[in-house]
Amino acid sequence: MSFAFSLNGVAKRYPHFELQDITLALPEGQVMGLVGVNGAGKTTLLRLITGIAAADAGEVRVLGHRLPAEQVAAKREIGFASEDMRLYRTQTLRWHMDLMQQIYPAWSEDYARELAKRFDLRTDQALGGCSHGQRVKALLLLCLARRPRLLLLDEPTTGLDPVARIEVLEALADVLRDAGRSVLFSSHNTHDVEQLADTITFLHKGRLVASADRNEFIDRWRRIVCQGALPSGLSAWPEIASARANGSLVEIKARAWNESLPARLAAEGLQVQRTDAMGLEDIFITAVRSGGAA
Amino acid sequence: MKLNLPLVRLLVVKDWQLFQKQLATYVLAGIVALCFLGLAESWAFYVGSLMLLIVMVAAACFSISTSLVVERKEQTLSFVMSLPVSPLDFTISKLAGNLITFAVPFVILLGGTLATVLLTPLPDGLFVYALLIFAYILFAFAISLSVAMSVESEGWATFAMIGSMVLINPYIMALAQIPDIDQRTRVDAVVWTLPAVGILISLVVLSIAVLGATTWFHARKPAFN
Repeated sequence: MSFAFSLNGVAKRYPHFELQDITLALPEGQVMGLVGVNGAGKTTLLRLITGIAAADAGEVRVLGHRLPAEQVAAKREIGFASEDMRLYRTQTLRWHMDLMQQIYPAWSEDYARELAKRFDLRTDQALGGCSHGQRVKALLLLCLARRPRLLLLDEPTTGLDPVARIEVLEALADVLRDAGRSVLFSSHNTHDVEQLADTITFLHKGRLVASADRNEFIDRWRRIVCQGALPSGLSAWPEIASARANGSLVEIKARAWNESLPARLAAEGLQVQRTDAMGLEDIFITAVRSGGAA
Repeated sequence: MKLNLPLVRLLVVKDWQLFQKQLATYVLAGIVALCFLGLAESWAFYVGSLMLLIVMVAAACFSISTSLVVERKEQTLSFVMSLPVSPLDFTISKLAGNLITFAVPFVILLGGTLATVLLTPLPDGLFVYALLIFAYILFAFAISLSVAMSVESEGWATFAMIGSMVLINPYIMALAQIPDIDQRTRVDAVVWTLPAVGILISLVVLSIAVLGATTWFHARKPAFN
């Protein structure tokens, strides 16, 4: 299997933040959603994968290139847009498009025009006069029209109004239909990630909390509502992420659901009333709060 | 690390396109200053020389400030870093871009100043003096550019720019204390004296050394940060 990127034991230290021992890989053609709160290390991780930042330890490989040494070759095939990235305010989108066209041989002018129309962008307007949503869409246009093999998006929908957000997500969904393209996008909005990603990775305080297939997450995690008294020691079970009592009701969140769990809970005096699948946001919050592996 | 020359050229052209209008304004203002100088009246000389100094200092600071400090502040730097460039490509493009955007008004106004001195009733002795003033501006530009390229703090970059440029005042006063330089400014002949040549060569060599050391330091970085 070939990987769009692979990180092996990667660490990066800053004065007030440390990304620790990250081992992660994305098979080519897959879409990975990177979920974490602000300051979790998502941007640092993306900067390592673009070669903009160098890891203090470990190995980073992107599209077969070792980074940061081969960052120029890797960046020719990467489209990177981040929330804190800005275009030149005094220049028009056309000026930026011309610049990209000269840099990237795979640039598609037809696709760029199509995206400009779809995003309702005027290419002759100076970007200083555009709204935040228009600037984000302009940045995405510049990334997508170069037809990158690996698309890296850092919080692409942050700060967008609901209409712009849906437009961006729809455009991304179209891009994702291209099976040859790999995508890593970060967000603290789990709904966006749930819609688009095949694989989901949780990052918290610079550590990898979990990384798995989206369906696997949904299948493994369960919210179990039981009747009875909360047994002591239940939280120590490896498959239990959290357990709390509310009167005679006990709510359990299981990180590794299996068919034998209701019987084992019954043996502890708990009658299982309901078992529900959990949403990604709930899974993420529970995983982070429990501190263990998800 | 190999230099990606076509991309470096593109980045230099990009910076040039971003700054060309403002640079044209500086050149225009410099030409107005030279017109005052050419009148060869004492009041006009004072106005012209002061205006010329302001224009040259502003042109030097504008290039550095816009291409490095503002690029960082307005977050267009991360856009540039995401392009297929290495730290070496980026350093060379910033160095070349700044040198070109500074060199255009510098060379035009230096040439204009020297021509004004030689072709108007102003004493030709000012020829060497003008070269010494322009050499200092070149040196201050080199220091400011190196600091701006090396620090991420806008405050330190601004301090280096203002500090080095403001020091032109004591530099002019120091030149006035050297009889071999000061007395020659009033004679109607171009006279090269040992102190003048020594200062001129020192400033040019120091400017080149500062820029060379900065390039060497940044060229060794494996990544941007």
